[in-house]
Amino acid sequence: MRKLVAALLLLSAWAIAENPRTLAIRNAKIVTVSGPVIGKGTVVVRNGLIEAVGENASIPDGAWVIDGEGMTVYPGLIDSMSTVGIPSLAPATPPAGRGGRGQTTTTPAPTPAPAATPATTAAPVTRAMGPEDRPATTSWVLAADEIDPSDRRIDSLRSAGFTTTVTFPARGIFGGQGSIIDLASVGHAGEMVVAPAVGQYLAVSRGGGIAGGFGAGFPNALMGYIAYIRQIYLDAGHYKLLKEAYAQSPRGMERPPYDRALEGVLDSKRILLPANRLVEMDRMLRFAAELQQPAILYGMREAYRPEAAPLLKKYGSPVLVSMHWTEAPRDPDPEAYRTMRSLENVDQGPAAPGLLQKAGIPFALYTDGLDQPKELQRAVKKAIDSGLARQDAIRALTLSPAEIYGVADRLGSIEAGKIANLVVTKGDLFDDHTQIQMIFVDGKQYKPAPEPPAGGGRGGAEEPGESQ
Amino acid sequence: MRKSWIVTLAALAPVYAQNIVIQNATIMTVTKGTLEGSLVIKDGKIAEVGEKVMMPLNATVIDAGGQYIIPGIIDCHSHIAVDGSVNEGSVAVSSMVNIKDVINPEDIAIYRALAGGVTAANILHGSANPIGGQTIVLKMRWGRDAQGMIFEGALPGIKFALGENPKRPGNPPGGRGATQTVPARYPATRMGVEDTIREALNQAKAYKAEWDDYAAKVARGEHPLPPRKDLKLEPLKEVLEGKRYVHAHCYREDEILMLLRVADDYGFKIRTLQHVLEGYKVAQEIAASGTGASTFSDWWAFKIEAYDAIPYNAALMQKKGIVVSLNSDDDELIRHLNTEAAKAMKYGGVSETDALAMVTINPAKQLGIDSRVGSIEAGKDADLVIYDKYPLSDYAKVLKVLIDGRVYFDRNNDVNGRPAKALEKQKLLDKEKQSQPKPTGGRGPVQ
Amino acid sequence: MKLLGILIGCAIAAGGASNDSVLIRGADIYPVSSEPVKAASILVLDGKISEIGLKVVAPKGVRVLDGKGLRVYPGMIDSGTNLGLSEIELIRETVDTGELGEFMPQLRALASVNPDSEHFAVVRIAGITSAMTFPAGAGNDEGGGGRGRPPQYISGQAALIHTFGRTWEEMAISGPAAMYVQFPALGPTGGRGGPVPENVAGLAGETGARTFTEMMRTYQQEMAKLTDFFEEARRYQKAKTASLAGFVRDLKYEAMLPVLEGKLPVAIAAATPRAIHDAIKFAEKENVKIVIVQPRELGSAAAELKAKNIPVILGRVLALPRGQDEPYDEAFTLPAEAYKAGIKFAFGTFENQFVRNLPYQAATAVAFGLPQDEALKAITINPAQIWGAGDRLGSIETDKLADLIVTTGDPLEIQTQVKHVFIRGQEIELSSKQTRLYDKYLNRQ
Repeated sequence: MRKLVAALLLLSAWAIAENPRTLAIRNAKIVTVSGPVIGKGTVVVRNGLIEAVGENASIPDGAWVIDGEGMTVYPGLIDSMSTVGIPSLAPATPPAGRGGRGQTTTTPAPTPAPAATPATTAAPVTRAMGPEDRPATTSWVLAADEIDPSDRRIDSLRSAGFTTTVTFPARGIFGGQGSIIDLASVGHAGEMVVAPAVGQYLAVSRGGGIAGGFGAGFPNALMGYIAYIRQIYLDAGHYKLLKEAYAQSPRGMERPPYDRALEGVLDSKRILLPANRLVEMDRMLRFAAELQQPAILYGMREAYRPEAAPLLKKYGSPVLVSMHWTEAPRDPDPEAYRTMRSLENVDQGPAAPGLLQKAGIPFALYTDGLDQPKELQRAVKKAIDSGLARQDAIRALTLSPAEIYGVADRLGSIEAGKIANLVVTKGDLFDDHTQIQMIFVDGKQYKPAPEPPAGGGRGGAEEPGESQ
Repeated sequence: MRKSWIVTLAALAPVYAQNIVIQNATIMTVTKGTLEGSLVIKDGKIAEVGEKVMMPLNATVIDAGGQYIIPGIIDCHSHIAVDGSVNEGSVAVSSMVNIKDVINPEDIAIYRALAGGVTAANILHGSANPIGGQTIVLKMRWGRDAQGMIFEGALPGIKFALGENPKRPGNPPGGRGATQTVPARYPATRMGVEDTIREALNQAKAYKAEWDDYAAKVARGEHPLPPRKDLKLEPLKEVLEGKRYVHAHCYREDEILMLLRVADDYGFKIRTLQHVLEGYKVAQEIAASGTGASTFSDWWAFKIEAYDAIPYNAALMQKKGIVVSLNSDDDELIRHLNTEAAKAMKYGGVSETDALAMVTINPAKQLGIDSRVGSIEAGKDADLVIYDKYPLSDYAKVLKVLIDGRVYFDRNNDVNGRPAKALEKQKLLDKEKQSQPKPTGGRGPVQ
Repeated sequence: MKLLGILIGCAIAAGGASNDSVLIRGADIYPVSSEPVKAASILVLDGKISEIGLKVVAPKGVRVLDGKGLRVYPGMIDSGTNLGLSEIELIRETVDTGELGEFMPQLRALASVNPDSEHFAVVRIAGITSAMTFPAGAGNDEGGGGRGRPPQYISGQAALIHTFGRTWEEMAISGPAAMYVQFPALGPTGGRGGPVPENVAGLAGETGARTFTEMMRTYQQEMAKLTDFFEEARRYQKAKTASLAGFVRDLKYEAMLPVLEGKLPVAIAAATPRAIHDAIKFAEKENVKIVIVQPRELGSAAAELKAKNIPVILGRVLALPRGQDEPYDEAFTLPAEAYKAGIKFAFGTFENQFVRNLPYQAATAVAFGLPQDEALKAITINPAQIWGAGDRLGSIETDKLADLIVTTGDPLEIQTQVKHVFIRGQEIELSSKQTRLYDKYLNRQ
């Protein structure tokens, strides 16, 4: 009997050690985001969800208890535009001597070789003759179907406190729809998906090295991209009309051919459009209004300009602000010409979130290719130092993106019933010397990867899941 | 003192209709002769021009003693204020693209054009395609957003291009053989250019028939499903219906004649021939077709099709009764259209009025905006340029430019504002330098 | 137009052997080297200016040109062209500038000048009577470099030529007038073109992928190559002078000898103060004379240029500012700035199709602060002196070559017509490809 009991205890201890289904963090400071800060309280997690949170939340029997003395619990951070989870869309290794800094990106980091574009891997390049040929449109794709849990960036981002990304198949002109995924290290990608289809990714350039010229297919110039997109929406509208008419009374009517690209476009409840300069913001907002599509703008480098907030307010579109602040060129030629605009960009770029906050514009921050914890911490800190209140910075990486994507009932704050995505720190999140102690994704605990040695390189990912 | 007080008052009330009087100038109206006098601006329009005018209440007075006023200059061929490439060169017919979608109101070229006296410009797609993209007319309202730059009511246009440029992609470097790295794009010859245009118009004709049929059915009370809207063929349909102007880049006489005949075949008129450097050779045919010609003053020999270009082109065409304008097609030359006009006087003896017309009322006529701009007459938009000296000379400088009765360029303000701007920039440069790590190797001269 | 040409032709024929002699009577003369003289006369004998005065009598057999109501100026000189070397820019077969090779001082532009280039007639009837023609760099070619080739350091010898002559020998004014050196460029300021457009460069205002350290390294390597070449040339010079045994004639180093001896100036394109300082430093180290060509900005270099008496060839006045935030009239005011700094300068148009607009470039400079007579000097006597022909050209003085233009007014005014052009005393028929086409189509019904 004793042996059996001992075996059972051992078994249950092992089970708890591997993956406690019920746990509680107590005596910790809790920043719920949705409500006032709890100076000292408890968060109870069961079955991957937050069961209870409060000063006096009761801890169920058998729960694995973590002593949170001296620690702070935050909702897990959400990266509102990402390619993490789709390894082929990771940015190319930066050229030697430049490092990853100082690069400007207008799209979330995809500078892959054209091999990433499905058309070119399939067959020799067929040059498009107009919008009716659409090699750059893969609108039916869902990021959820391409998630690969072995993407090394998952661990890196998670170690910086991110538990969730809104991952987009960022390629071509209509890349497909983004999916919200939790950064859980699991065997099956499907388990990571929180919401499979949250909006169509649109780009107005192919990025990378496809210099214009007459050899590449349509489109080539910015106005070509806009015409391309416009035509697809016209076609989608027409397609819908025909489909509905055919569905109502097919007899005697030629059937409209099935077009999965147009289906993908019709399925998308919102679109994401790139806009960095003020002129681009104006252009894209008007364009989205013309297309009659709810839109989210991403990039927003010139959001610090005084004209930006009133413009955004007029349209009411939420925006995603890149955290990859423009940096001054390193070791520049002292005589290299710097325009006033680019100087302002470097100087005032990080002030954008604070200004948007004051103007009441709904916005979220996104990592835009940054994935090292130190880089990310510094980037947010810069915004805080430039006028974004700390709690607003936290909100911009938690509840705001959840609201923007319509999943605020599930994510973004520490409230009973929401998904148990948490990050626990010693020190205030985003401060220079703060240590992230542990990260919870869907209630499962992860350790942050160790700091990389000075001089860069990525830290090895620790085996996740082992609780202390 | 009194003037500056009034200016301040006016500045504080931008919403109010601002009355302005510009007095004591030599006013070159273009259509009604030259006079020494004054003009009155009310609500953005020219209210009165004359040797003596009625001074309205609360008017800002600009004393232009010894100075010259001409109508705002209009450039009939420009590529400024465009974001991204001006060419959608991937396909031979790119009529689906629209310059209107990519207006960049922050292009400094706009301000510099203003400083050269230009108040409106015809912004065109490039010349890489036999049929290029849709075009738009802008006013140089520096400081406004993209929508605010658009010349309201100006008919939209589309660009055609003939000759070497649109066939260059058909003849990529490295030849057309197996060793080529860049695929050739049809057409590769002038013959193919004509074919491409005819083919597209053919398709547009069929497209129009489809839509006309649909409209007729609807008019009869039926409920047919509409045809697919095709952005490429829509603007060409408008061309066939006379609702969209065609601006055709061309050089050689054969291609000029070809296009006029193609237009005849399809029942429309080419609005303007652009560059049209051999226009003088087929001037009577151009005149007979009623097409306008917008040309360079004296560029030549940069391409073989420009080898027979002569600076007398404008004069010769004008003699035959063609409405001729002089354009820049260049960010720098746009600033000197006043002296380009003077060249028409030098080459071929065009009169002063006719020369000035080539950069004012003539391009206005070509763009269908002459009821609004192009001359100094009561009722027209107050788009004006004030020069310190006789404008048809390189000795003259632009002092002020007004658009819709508002001062958009003032040389004094520009010059006086420079030290402050430089200081502000230096502050940021210094700030940035301080935050940089010390560079290795030091700066400056070597050895 | 045609009729006049016939009359002149007759007059010239009637003048017999002395078709380079004429008396221009009763015109307003603008010598440039001295004050204008109203209603005076110029006697040209055997291609030279023989006499200037209020009452000059024509010797027997010399025809008389009535200059009443007209003005006479020295023929204009353009200090930056490819005339005769380039016909149609886009057709490579017609372009003879920009040879291959890193060090090519032995190339001479002069003997490749096509006297029948249509460009010559066009520019001379506009009053440009002589020009510097360069083996590279003026116009759109990138002089050996560019188009994927290695950089070219020394492009060859530029020539000062008349814009009229049956052969290039006749057109030559002196031997070579300058050695054209394409100085290594530190970074993008070295001349690959203007500022990078904002929407292309991205908001960090990046000018390219290279760090300053990398740029400096390349620059130093290139400078080393250039100075090494000069060093080799000096050794050759020494060996030649000493008639060392085994001495072999080398055409490249031969071509460098006049440079080393200070007889042939080196023309160096230097756009910024830094580049100008570097060029001057180089010149002092190598002990050669230089002319700075096409600066975009003078700044701190102005004082040094003045102090060391280094002349400057200004590029096109009608040009855009070099940067987004710069004053719109930056290029228009540069000549005035050079003048105020006491620098001696001349104008060059640097594109064949715009050579005839040389005086209008000068006029724009006047509008923006350059004194009128300085503008005129910069297209007449200054270039003559800078290019070593100051004793023969550039002003109306006795014993100088009779390169003259007779105009209806100020040549810097666009409406002014050039009525007569004399080169080496010979009157030029005011006809060109363009006037002939004009005549043909004027009368087409």
